[in-house]
Amino acid sequence: MTAGVSSHTESAAASPRRNAAALVWHQIRYEQLSFWRNPQSAFFLFAFPLVFFAILAGVFGNTVLFRYDGRTVTGLQYYSSTIAAVSVMGACYSQLAITVSLRRQEGILKRLRGTPLPAWVMFAGLVAHCIIISFIDVALILIMGVLYGVPFPAHWDAIIVTLVVGAAAFCALGVAVANLVRNAEAAPAVVQFIFFPLVFISGTYFVITSKALNDLAGIFPVRPFNQALLNPFAFDRGFAGHQLLVLAIWGVVGGFVAVRRFRWDPRPE
Amino acid sequence: MDAVVVEDLQKAYGSTRAVAGVSFTVGFGEIFSLLGPNGAGKTTTMEILEGYRRQDAGNVVVAGFNPGDRRTGRQLREQIGIVLQDLAVEPNLTVREMVSRNSGYYPNPRPVGEVIELVGLAGKEKAQVKSLSGGQKRRLDLALGIIGNPRVLFLDEPTTGFDPSARRGAWEVIRELRDLGTAIMLTTHYMDEAQELADRVAVISGGKIVEEGIPATLGGRDRARARIRFLLPDGYSAADLPVPATAGEDGRLVVEADDPTELLYRLTGWAVEHHTALPSLTVDRPSLEDIYLGLTTVQTEAASGVAPGARRGATP
Repeated sequence: MTAGVSSHTESAAASPRRNAAALVWHQIRYEQLSFWRNPQSAFFLFAFPLVFFAILAGVFGNTVLFRYDGRTVTGLQYYSSTIAAVSVMGACYSQLAITVSLRRQEGILKRLRGTPLPAWVMFAGLVAHCIIISFIDVALILIMGVLYGVPFPAHWDAIIVTLVVGAAAFCALGVAVANLVRNAEAAPAVVQFIFFPLVFISGTYFVITSKALNDLAGIFPVRPFNQALLNPFAFDRGFAGHQLLVLAIWGVVGGFVAVRRFRWDPRPE
Repeated sequence: MDAVVVEDLQKAYGSTRAVAGVSFTVGFGEIFSLLGPNGAGKTTTMEILEGYRRQDAGNVVVAGFNPGDRRTGRQLREQIGIVLQDLAVEPNLTVREMVSRNSGYYPNPRPVGEVIELVGLAGKEKAQVKSLSGGQKRRLDLALGIIGNPRVLFLDEPTTGFDPSARRGAWEVIRELRDLGTAIMLTTHYMDEAQELADRVAVISGGKIVEEGIPATLGGRDRARARIRFLLPDGYSAADLPVPATAGEDGRLVVEADDPTELLYRLTGWAVEHHTALPSLTVDRPSLEDIYLGLTTVQTEAASGVAPGARRGATP
């Protein structure tokens, strides 16, 4: 209708979109920026497992916790696996469940839905951010472990695959739980309510010897993740096929709920 | 091509008909304002146009796209800007980071610095969003709405919580965008805002448009009778006055007239003759707010029956 319109359309046609990889990177950068600016959440997600590991490794360092298959497993070996696992769960499951439900409630997701940012890029950015945080955390735990004198693991392929499968599964579960949370103020409580009992029965902080409890915990995703990491860290073994499969199934179920029940809007229609 | 075309739009939530047959068009370079009380269907209409909700029936075209079509959703959102009622900004990023982040989502964004300046946040670039005042956050919201260089801009109560000078500033920005050819859809509770900004307004009530026109003539405002209002001077009664007057709501007397010139002359002449004054004397015609309240009150009273002002079809 007026002269200004033509300039809009011409310039819009002139510039192409950024490619998808660049957009994902753009998104990761701002997720990182936002994360490190919030010292409280950075501390709990990031420093908390390190502090825990330092304490547990200090107390149980060279104590033989149990024997398995003719091998002795020391506190250092055991806790470098389980605390690495718990740090991944914190960075992926807890972080996503809380962040996504909070962003939904505050209308940030709705606002983002009003921009051309594709939904998958938003998720890719978030998940990649969580995986980066997990990997830094695991790397720091390993470094601390080495400083304490834990033998350096040999099966790196198994460690990396297990971390990726675990991180992906717990990201999916985090978003799934975020979809079930109705009120973001309750999100941390809901997250912990699910998380804490599982962590305890799965032997994260102490060795569980009850077979019944171990069998029960083996159905849920936390113990299989611990076991899959213990393989290379403590038993000098490679892939834990069965445990990885259980984790992957949980990941798929979580992913299904995450996608199907996802809402952008704080108020359901 | 019109920027926004809405034809017989309908949307119900359960048994509540939130939008019951709404039609209008908005051109590029035009500010169109949707007025109405809470729950009248304003936000539902806007959210259907923005692609957040799907209509039950009726056609909607925004910048050439159907907002309900997921396949063209990204293309549509590259063409529109949205400022929602709720503040929703990442607390830990700075103003500049927030605007830069969103500018990366669009193929043809406006320059970040220019947009920050335009909304009046120059000097606040490095401030974290959580440290901003409510009005400043709202301005950041406006910046995010326009960073993508939209052809159609949706503003849902954009100046709620602004101080008067910030409001003037925002109006200035909105007018500039209109003059650049942007189509702007505005909802507001402030009649002065609609009066100042809108090229056309539509009053929506009970899910229907009950009146549509330019602000100056809406509801026959320009042809309405003038009202002379004043306080009765001490020691006189209404019967002493040279013209018939009725008691108004605010305690003043009211004299209505098609042309107030002659009546005013008689009144002031009478006062001068009696060496008295007419305190709080004003002469006006119904404001946009008076017309709006008249229209929406009738609607609320008639809500149970068939709305008398409804001229468009689509009754169940």
